[in-house]
Amino acid sequence: MSAIELRGVAKQYPPREPGSLPQDLLRGVDLTVRRGEFVAVEGQSGSGKSTLLHVLGGLDREFAGEALVLGCDLRAVTDAELAALRHTQIGFVFQSFNLLPALTALENVLLPDFFGDGVPDAERRAREALDRVGLADKARARPAALSGGERQRVAIARALVARPPLLLADEPTGNLDARTGEGVIDLFRQLHREGMTLLIVTHEARVSHSATRVLVLREGRLHADGAEAVETE
Amino acid sequence: MKIGKLIRLARGNLVRELGALAVSAGGVALGTGCLVFFLALGAGLQGVVNQVFPVSTREVEVVVPQLAIGNLLGEQKIDDATVQKLRALRGAAAAYPKMQLRVPAVTRFSGPFFGRELRMGLEVVATGLMPELVGEDARMPFEDRGESQPIPVVVNRRLLELYNKVFAPQRNLPRLTDSMLVGFQIPLELGKSWVVSRSLPDSQETSMQLVGFSERATLAGVSMPLAAIRRINRKYGADADTYSSVLVRAQSADDVGDVAAGVRKLGLEIDDTERLYAVQIGAAVELVTLALSLLAALITVLAAVNTMQAFYASVRERTREIGVLRAVGATRGDVAAVVLAEAAATGLAGGVIGVVLARLAGALLDQLARTGLPEFPFKPATFFTFHPGHLALGVGVALLAALLGAFLPARAAARLEPAKALTES
Repeated sequence: MSAIELRGVAKQYPPREPGSLPQDLLRGVDLTVRRGEFVAVEGQSGSGKSTLLHVLGGLDREFAGEALVLGCDLRAVTDAELAALRHTQIGFVFQSFNLLPALTALENVLLPDFFGDGVPDAERRAREALDRVGLADKARARPAALSGGERQRVAIARALVARPPLLLADEPTGNLDARTGEGVIDLFRQLHREGMTLLIVTHEARVSHSATRVLVLREGRLHADGAEAVETE
Repeated sequence: MKIGKLIRLARGNLVRELGALAVSAGGVALGTGCLVFFLALGAGLQGVVNQVFPVSTREVEVVVPQLAIGNLLGEQKIDDATVQKLRALRGAAAAYPKMQLRVPAVTRFSGPFFGRELRMGLEVVATGLMPELVGEDARMPFEDRGESQPIPVVVNRRLLELYNKVFAPQRNLPRLTDSMLVGFQIPLELGKSWVVSRSLPDSQETSMQLVGFSERATLAGVSMPLAAIRRINRKYGADADTYSSVLVRAQSADDVGDVAAGVRKLGLEIDDTERLYAVQIGAAVELVTLALSLLAALITVLAAVNTMQAFYASVRERTREIGVLRAVGATRGDVAAVVLAEAAATGLAGGVIGVVLARLAGALLDQLARTGLPEFPFKPATFFTFHPGHLALGVGVALLAALLGAFLPARAAARLEPAKALTES
């Protein structure tokens, strides 16, 4: 069973000025990602990588075409069902970490527990997740007291606390130095070995080298698919 | 989203935005504080009015019409038969006839009066009351014990207030309390008047003994047992069969209308002079309270607008955070609930602060009144009556104002598309 199935997914932004043309962000993207794959999505700035990630994560419903994520038709479900999908099935990691400054590291990791039916045994899982990213001793620290790498690891722990089968990350090493970024990539490799499906938007080669499959987006189109390329080589 | 988790999430944001939300809470506190303050002032002043003009909602004072044709012809009167008819009226529970002392009487006092030497002489005006009407206000027996015994009297408490606040300070006389006066005796000369032409040939010396204070007692003089008045009037050949008025008690306040209609059918009239005073002054107090409460409501509305602006700014600043909440599973309702929970906390804090400020302002003004205002009759110990309902209303209005103010920002936050919110710089 595939984790992701896209058929003819397209997205436009309305014209910025009257008389100008609408901006095509995604143009007829077809994609199948099997469960357990580690996919890197490359592309230049403005190529549609983040837009694709938002569509896949159910964060953006205004698109054309058909999108199934973990068997869920993203255009057919209600807003609440989509929220539940994000809550239990998808973990997100963002380039700018997006931690809530008023909460401690532990509370940030526990954030998914605040919503829906919560997360079973949330406190224990959150501490385990922090331990896994090497921040067990920073549980009570607020984001302002953490380094960039530590913040990103807290964000990854937050994405893992509900133990989702799919992890979506948008430039997760973009704001990290080489050494810290390598640690994050190692963590992704480990998650992949454990069977998690990962789709990482990146423009960094070191991330792509760790992936089992590399997609390249250019001007909203899927320009190259590393899996196919490997097969043809 | 469970309420405990909602509170934990809102608490973090509240702490972070304490400055801006403190301004909102301050505005709400000012509005609700004014509201509670003015309502308490109105209730306090109404209490003073009720003390000065105690009006029962179940009782009416029935008198002979002053301008009735029958009265001019000498036919209109209140006798025992009329009292029976009044008792039989629909809705009437009881009728208590009153009779005035219809012979002249004076009191002459010379001697020690609670530590001072006092010499005085006064015409005595007296009204007879049924002992049942005075009830437990009399702390000694209130019944006629014959010519040889002192006549028990009750005095209206308002007269004691006037004595203590006006008469005593002017004449340098001691201030008196109930317990000092009950049992006090004063000489009484029946059939005698300071106006020589009114004096009767066979005057009699006796005495009055104060047995209590009662709102039932007449304001113009003293009140004696009805039997004593009847005996004295009869002895001096005055009218001892007709009454000057009858207090009719209705079964309930709703029955007063029926009783009044029955009274008019009997050709009698209801003396509602005191009731009208109370109603007019009470209406004036209510009107002023209403106007001031409207002013307070206006301040609260402005506070709600201020809250709305503060929360719009807060939502704008937290757009990306709202995107994160949506990304980890928050529904639109969850996002709105978080904003409204913050508003509720702001409103509750404002309401509690407002109520506390109102009470403090009331206590301060009472203190200023105690030390700065001269003594006057019925000067209250406090001008404010803080009913629990007013306090609850204050907190409730504050909560409502904050929630209404935050409603549109909460809706705007809930409507944010997560992808757009996450890309907001």
